[in-house]
Amino acid sequence: MKSLEKKKAVWGFIFVLPAILFFIIFNFYPMSYAFWFSFFKKNLISLRPPKFVGFQNYIYLFQSDSFWNSVKATGIFALGTFVPIVIFSLLFAVLISSRKRFQKFLQLAYYSPAVLSSVVAATIWFLMFQPYGLANQFLNFIFNTNNIDYKWLSNEKMLILATIIVYFWKYVGYYTIIFIAGIASIPKSVHEAAIIDGANKWQDFWYITLPLLKPTTLLVSVMSMIQTLRTFSTQYFFVQSGAPIKPIEVITLNIYNTAIRDMRIGRASAMSIILLLIIMFFTFIQFKISKSDEISY
Amino acid sequence: MKKIGFSIIIDIFIWFFLIGFAIIVLAPLLFMFTASIMPAEEIMKVPYPWISNTFHWQNFWKALKGNDGNFLFVRTIINSFIVASLTTLGTIFLSSMAGYGLAKFRFKGRMLVLMLILSTMMIPFEAIMIPLYLIVTKMGLQDSYAGLIVPLLLNAFGIFMMRQYLITFPEELLDAARIDGATEFGIFWKVIFPNSLPAITTLAILTFRAQWDNLIWPLLVVQTPEKKTIPLFIIQFASEKYTDEGALMAAAVIASIPMLILFFKLSKYFLSGAELFAARKD
Repeated sequence: MKSLEKKKAVWGFIFVLPAILFFIIFNFYPMSYAFWFSFFKKNLISLRPPKFVGFQNYIYLFQSDSFWNSVKATGIFALGTFVPIVIFSLLFAVLISSRKRFQKFLQLAYYSPAVLSSVVAATIWFLMFQPYGLANQFLNFIFNTNNIDYKWLSNEKMLILATIIVYFWKYVGYYTIIFIAGIASIPKSVHEAAIIDGANKWQDFWYITLPLLKPTTLLVSVMSMIQTLRTFSTQYFFVQSGAPIKPIEVITLNIYNTAIRDMRIGRASAMSIILLLIIMFFTFIQFKISKSDEISY
Repeated sequence: MKKIGFSIIIDIFIWFFLIGFAIIVLAPLLFMFTASIMPAEEIMKVPYPWISNTFHWQNFWKALKGNDGNFLFVRTIINSFIVASLTTLGTIFLSSMAGYGLAKFRFKGRMLVLMLILSTMMIPFEAIMIPLYLIVTKMGLQDSYAGLIVPLLLNAFGIFMMRQYLITFPEELLDAARIDGATEFGIFWKVIFPNSLPAITTLAILTFRAQWDNLIWPLLVVQTPEKKTIPLFIIQFASEKYTDEGALMAAAVIASIPMLILFFKLSKYFLSGAELFAARKD
């Protein structure tokens, strides 16, 4: 019997082994590599061995305008995107869940942009943001103005807004679905008890649904924030198609440009480590939330 | 009586709001489809005509042919299919294997392995992509399918999902198979794998879509045009001066068709994928 247990243990390890090797080679090794290189001066194509420079890469970054510009661009994009995403996806989810008919249809409709690839999403909006495009037509219709060009892809502020709109459009439905699942997991009996006790629909929402949705809300907030900190495709696409880079050079784009265009691996690694620390911090919070905030009925 | 009237007004208002937003959300998709069959002059008309009298199918031909006439788009479509399918096959096989090992076997360091795997969820790909690129180059895999596929074969979420799914798998079935003399790998392949199809389908869709969508990794790995994937082609196509707007939208439609077909056929797995992602808890 003992040997059977032992044999099973060996097999368990064999099943897990490929995964262990994979994560060591393709996750932990590159992570330590990035950490290591952040203390060296290394050129992408030069054959010279990397030169140890201590904290110089970090000092350089903290004094460089380009880095702070990226921090700013990332911060504005993340805040400007994830806050509306959380608010609207919660609102959509609550309203869709309250419908007795066409629930499935509304879910599919709101979710559908998430099916497209990020580059396709950026392509569609790239045409809609052209001077003749639908974005201008929509704003002209709303503000009742006549053929004003809002310069979506050339004005700095409009360009930031443009990237936010693309991202919001693509992902709001995705988070709506998550909220709908959260709402559906609240037992009917809780709502019924509240209604019997004389609560109206608004009170039921405010005092029952919303507090019980707190874990979902926190989860969606942290998740969407982490995702927005990692944004790349839309910004890269717009810059490649001729938009000014400064307002939308988010950290990921700066890492890419520093490593591939400027060939400065050390600097790019230092920036990667900073991004890693920021995102690790938020992920850690997310783990804490999903562990501590479970609700039992 | 007055109260009922009020709630009807609210009800109508909610419907207006939801349908209004549904129209706004769907409008860009409708724009993509309608513009893909319009000549460029009509796309640039103000106001946008939405419906055209002509069916300008040439857009699709122009997109497939490309500005250079070398049919690079066709090549990138094939590449995307190869890369996304192989990654998906590898992922579902390796993830369910690791998930099974973690769910149903007791060995020393099992919890440590699980914690290590889960901790990689904290590592954003963008933060390790540059050293990863250097490593892949050192392995001689740059500018190859293997370089595109291998570093993305596994992720913590997939393994965790399979583990959670398999943890409730009835032990008696496994023991029965063992008594019948099946090997451990045989049990995995003939009992576990076919019996976890719902979870595997969800994982397969998530993986295929992620690879179909992936821009940043192919951007680093691929150098020769013939190895490019669809997102790289579309970005190049969009930035070329002579690209016709209609042809660009036709390219976008072609790039979206596989995902849209999957979505309409298997929408429940897409939606459950989103829910699962939210429900990941230990």
